[in-house]
Amino acid sequence: MKEDNLEFFWIDSEGEKKLATRNLVVGNQVYKEKLITKRGTEYRLWDPFRSKLAAAIMNGLEIFPFKNKSTVLYLGVSTGTTVSHISDIVGPDGMIFGVEHASRVARDFLDRVASHRKNIIPILQDARRPKEYFSVFGKVDVVYVDIAQPDQTTIAIENCKMYLKKEGYFFLVIKTRSIDVTKSPKRIIEEEIEKMEVYFEILQVIDLLPYDKDHAMVIAKFLN
Amino acid sequence: MYSVILTELGISVFKDEKLEKVFPFKDSVRDYISVKKKESRLIDLVDYLRSLQRGVTTSDESLLILLKKNSIDAQIMEESQLEKIQATKPQIIVDSGFAQNLADALTKLREFAMGLSSSKVTEVSESPDLHIIQAINSLDEIDKISNALSSRLREWYGLHFPELDNIIDSINGYAQIVLAGKRESLTKKVYEDAGFPDSKAEMISLIASKSRGGDISDVNLAIVQSIAKQILDFHDLRKKLEDHVESEMQTIAPNITVILGAAVGARILGRAGSLKKLASMPASTIQIIGAEKALFRSLKTGAQPPKHGLLFQHAMVHAAPRWQRGKIARAIAAKAAIAARVDVYGEGINKTLLEKLNIRVDEIGKKYENPTEKETSRPESFRRDEGGDSRRREGGFRREGGDSRRREGGDSRRREGSDSRGDSRRREGSDSRGDSRREGGFRREGGFRREGGDSRRREGSDSRGDSRREGGFRSEGGDSRRREGGFRSEGGDSRRREGGFRRDGGDSRGDSRREGGFRSEGSDSRRREGSDSRGDSRREGGFRREGSDSRGDSRREGGFRSEGSDSRRREGSDSRGDSRREGGFRREGSDSRGDSRREGSDTKRAGKNYRERTDSKLNKNKKRKKVERR
Repeated sequence: MKEDNLEFFWIDSEGEKKLATRNLVVGNQVYKEKLITKRGTEYRLWDPFRSKLAAAIMNGLEIFPFKNKSTVLYLGVSTGTTVSHISDIVGPDGMIFGVEHASRVARDFLDRVASHRKNIIPILQDARRPKEYFSVFGKVDVVYVDIAQPDQTTIAIENCKMYLKKEGYFFLVIKTRSIDVTKSPKRIIEEEIEKMEVYFEILQVIDLLPYDKDHAMVIAKFLN
Repeated sequence: MYSVILTELGISVFKDEKLEKVFPFKDSVRDYISVKKKESRLIDLVDYLRSLQRGVTTSDESLLILLKKNSIDAQIMEESQLEKIQATKPQIIVDSGFAQNLADALTKLREFAMGLSSSKVTEVSESPDLHIIQAINSLDEIDKISNALSSRLREWYGLHFPELDNIIDSINGYAQIVLAGKRESLTKKVYEDAGFPDSKAEMISLIASKSRGGDISDVNLAIVQSIAKQILDFHDLRKKLEDHVESEMQTIAPNITVILGAAVGARILGRAGSLKKLASMPASTIQIIGAEKALFRSLKTGAQPPKHGLLFQHAMVHAAPRWQRGKIARAIAAKAAIAARVDVYGEGINKTLLEKLNIRVDEIGKKYENPTEKETSRPESFRRDEGGDSRRREGGFRREGGDSRRREGGDSRRREGSDSRGDSRRREGSDSRGDSRREGGFRREGGFRREGGDSRRREGSDSRGDSRREGGFRSEGGDSRRREGGFRSEGGDSRRREGGFRRDGGDSRGDSRREGGFRSEGSDSRRREGSDSRGDSRREGGFRREGSDSRGDSRREGGFRSEGSDSRRREGSDSRGDSRREGGFRREGSDSRGDSRREGSDTKRAGKNYRERTDSKLNKNKKRKKVERR
């Protein structure tokens, strides 16, 4: 990754180059991450141990379709760690639809992230029923899925069919331990990719070690 | 054709793409929800549509049902139309006059989403079952805290009045006496207030006068007394919580309370997450809630599945003889699943549930009065055999003959997959996931071998056929490493030699000449175990001989060897030596120790020996030490 791209930055901190995004809401901290001000701009460090997208970048992500003004459908926002950084990246003219079903983590997400960032639309709905989403409109550029369900790939594909643009990008975090503990992670990843190949062109598969164990990120392009 | 479109901010009626009329929501969140829940009356809209006297299409299923309820001829729109609406929603909102421009529409949509999401969070947070879960969890935590504080109090005040500890069992009485102050100031009244009978009070005052305890300063006493105060407060709080959980469970989940009891019911509710989630669980899940670790071990290794989780706390399960517990737990779980559904979707108390459960439990009690034969051969309890069962089962196969043995071996390996062995292995072991993650890199070098060793053990200690393959052969290294301790430190070479040796079987004893006769002895005795299921002592015999032998060896080979045997003496665990050598293994130590114990269980089908070894590892170590000294 080049250093001077517009999406994310490498910032010197404690003698290391660390991943960061430009803070959209100055002074706002989401998960007690470090804020660093350089030449008048405030940056938020992006912890790959907390965010799987950052982990994927660290492990050599080749395509980064989150751009300024992108629209993103994010399934499984949880407490909003990763979403907050995507929100930084897409900027005030972008839009993120954040879907989360569990009300406990959604509480934190609303408090810490959604209420401060105008480009996030929180949707408390089950991702299994994409038809019932409210406030979603149009097709999105990227679908990012990070949900811990045995049928997560199917859910994700259903959502893509409804909301993803043609040739849009699809990020899927495969949590092998949530799918089947008895199978080997490698085999699960292969099986899930097989399911996706009907609708997608697989671009890259990234193992998230050492940041997350038994997790993989699949990046694909929507063909339909 | 008129089309009725539901948006987040109101309902618009279009005729051939032209806006006819709008019905904006007053409170968008509330009104939208009431439409979605099909509770809305929509009087204005219905009146208007009636006046049209025409069929309409609508964009929303809830709206469709509402309209039909009001006898308006309505249909759902076509897919393409729906998609168009979805794509141009902000524009529709602007066209309907709900917002001034697109930017305003977006802001309003976001506000709406925030409001709706917040209201959902509020709604969920209000449900009473979440409060029960918090209550039962804090009850369990208070138990933990006050137990810890109690033993601290006994220790501290024991410096001043050590005899009191043994006389008074109840921590409540103890704390009350502590509150009264120093030994000298304890009067009969204090004992009476604390609820002790006269005889005991006299005994205490007698002992108090001759106590061996030292004096306690006022400052220290004050602190000890405030700890005592805390304990008493906790006691009160615990009581309150208990009553609260009991009464809340009665009102919210009466049927579960009848079947499971308030406390167990609340704990299971806590594990499920909410009453609704519990109601959607199958009985089998309820049966093993709280035994997840054992369940996943069973799924991964084929060990025996757990019979009960939290349900073990249920009086019926707890009081039943061991061999009936699984059956009773299953019966209770089945009724509990029904009870939860009645509590959520039904009404009142269903009395037949408990009656039928009692009938079934009586039936189990009669039918399985005596332990079945299979059961008697089982070691004491499920927990201790730690997945040893599968091995025991396979042990049975093994005895059948070489063929089945080999098949077994291949099987288990395929199931495991060579790459995943490491993780699953370690997880099912006693140490935590975090650990295994931290080990990261090392898994590649040492870990694999160990893992191999593990699978090998599952295959049975003498499935020689496997050593053909690299993996199997390495695994033998790992295996014998664990058993034979010191020799491992010789490094890869000897291991490979070992592998070769094993392949040939025990006959080629000569092969192991360098390591001395002990190796063959070891495997020999092991093999004999396999067939006649001899106990621990036999194997340990082999072991011990090995031990002394390998020390003899170490003289020849230098520092390594002595390290190995040294650590064994200290630890009784063979991986220690390794940790010394490879670094980072130390954390593994506990794991492999657990392994070696489990490994013990495999051949020790004769329960007696098995217990002896697992129960008192200390003993084992002592024994070993003795022999080594000899």
